[in-house]
Amino acid sequence: MESSCWQHEIETMEPHALRAMQLERLNAVLARAAKSPYYGKLFSQNGLGRIGSLDEFSRYPFTGKQDLRDNFPYGFLTGSLDETVRLHSSSGTTGIPTVVFYTPEDLDVWTECVTRSMYMTGARKCDVFQNMMGYGLFTGGIGFHYGAERLGMLTIPSGPGNSKRQIWFMKTFRTSVMHILPSYALHLMTYFPEEGIDPRRDLALKIAFIGAEPHSEGVRTKIEEFYGIKAYNSYGLSEMCGPGVAFECPAQEGLHVWEDHFYPEIINPETGEVLPDGEDGELVLTTLTKTAMPLIRYRTRDLTRILPGICSCGRTHRRIQRITGRSDDMLIINGVNIFPVQIEKVLMTIPEIGNNYLIEIVKENFMDRIIVKVEIKPEAFGGRLEQLSALQHRIADALHTDLVVSPVVKLVEPGSLPVAEGKAKRVNDLRNA
Amino acid sequence: MKGESMAHTLTVFMENKPGKLERITGILADAGVNLRGITVASGGEFGVVRVLVTDHERAMQVLRSANLTVSVQESIVAVVEDEPGGFHRLLGILTKNNINIEDCYGFVLENSKKAAIVIDVTDRARAEEILRGNGIEFWKE
Repeated sequence: MESSCWQHEIETMEPHALRAMQLERLNAVLARAAKSPYYGKLFSQNGLGRIGSLDEFSRYPFTGKQDLRDNFPYGFLTGSLDETVRLHSSSGTTGIPTVVFYTPEDLDVWTECVTRSMYMTGARKCDVFQNMMGYGLFTGGIGFHYGAERLGMLTIPSGPGNSKRQIWFMKTFRTSVMHILPSYALHLMTYFPEEGIDPRRDLALKIAFIGAEPHSEGVRTKIEEFYGIKAYNSYGLSEMCGPGVAFECPAQEGLHVWEDHFYPEIINPETGEVLPDGEDGELVLTTLTKTAMPLIRYRTRDLTRILPGICSCGRTHRRIQRITGRSDDMLIINGVNIFPVQIEKVLMTIPEIGNNYLIEIVKENFMDRIIVKVEIKPEAFGGRLEQLSALQHRIADALHTDLVVSPVVKLVEPGSLPVAEGKAKRVNDLRNA
Repeated sequence: MKGESMAHTLTVFMENKPGKLERITGILADAGVNLRGITVASGGEFGVVRVLVTDHERAMQVLRSANLTVSVQESIVAVVEDEPGGFHRLLGILTKNNINIEDCYGFVLENSKKAAIVIDVTDRARAEEILRGNGIEFWKE
């Protein structure tokens, strides 16, 4: 057991001791949060102070993504900018993004969580780690990069894309551990035959970390079989730190939430009521140790449940099931977060198109593809085919500029899209159809 | 007589799918509108159909009320002899006056006697005047 834990004492802490630690840390983080303009006002207005037990925590209000936007950029910052050393931003948002800040201590905890997660799956310092996630404002790439270096692995910051070169790195440097979007792991499969490489025979791969987008058990199995590896589900969000919030252990039965740093609750997304372990609902997380920007009862909008009972691996930190969906309409397109309203905003700036549109999401060659169908206004039609083609390109360019991803734009006849009856159905997700 | 145009082309936007064109011809047939000429241009998943009709106002009305995206343009429909060189002589006039053709198609009016050439140019009024000055007649709705 000792050898499989990065921090054995913490990872296998007795549940009652873990709860006591959480209560202590909750009170500390509530006091810290109260130093921020947003929470300071909120707590004093509602007379919220210390809690005597974890049950009392449900008195505290939830924090939502909109609160982060409404208090952009520094409303959640507890200290001065002198203490902060980094910011990250959630991917793909338009207008006001969600921005998070880190002190050196925050970066240290984050790195520790990622290191612990990777070590748990069997990654060791003798391994070669290829990080095929995006670097930059997105937390996915950088978070794993620092964790891998702390663990002591030779780290290749290859970033996403350029599939032939990825395979070349894997082969040349005997990559044994990789971090990859599940959809990209599937897409990359199509390149091996033409390179004449059989990953099971010609490569040294043994572990993959897959995350940043919801995926099924079937996708995991497919990846494991093709590459001849074990693939572990990674969960995180920039609001908490980034990746490293919850991670699968070798038992592959749910993801351990690192409860010494994050306090998980499952709620009924409609009523906000806290649900007992085992019941399906929305995951709500509180940062227990964050200093620059603690978040209290943050609604992740991710749907899951806490798996009751102790894991066969011996770790006591509770596990969540793989994410089954969202309680809002956020779309995850090849790892990039997109809200349909962002697409709508862009469409509404183009005078030639009418009010009816439909967003379709399909799988093409294992990658997500957005198709935006729009109706053109009859009065904007000048009777030339070239005008239509130009319009089509203009819409596609505008969407690409705002969303980072590149949707396919299709012009359709007026009246051919389903007419809104009450709440309009604007999104048709055909990925699992 | 300038501007008192003789023919109109309706352009209808449509998706490139089976049955889309048939729907348009059905609407026109039901309204008693006769088609004199038709061309289709495809832009991949969508395209446009251009029709030269006998009663463009009626055609416009029925297509619009069927919720179709239609636009109307005045067209030059030049009448030429239906014989070898008929179209060539018409083009000679246009070339001599440096008029560029954007789009063009033809149909027979009376076999071996008269044919019509629908010409789409940038400066329609000027082209019309020049053709008229060269004795070319126009087809009318």
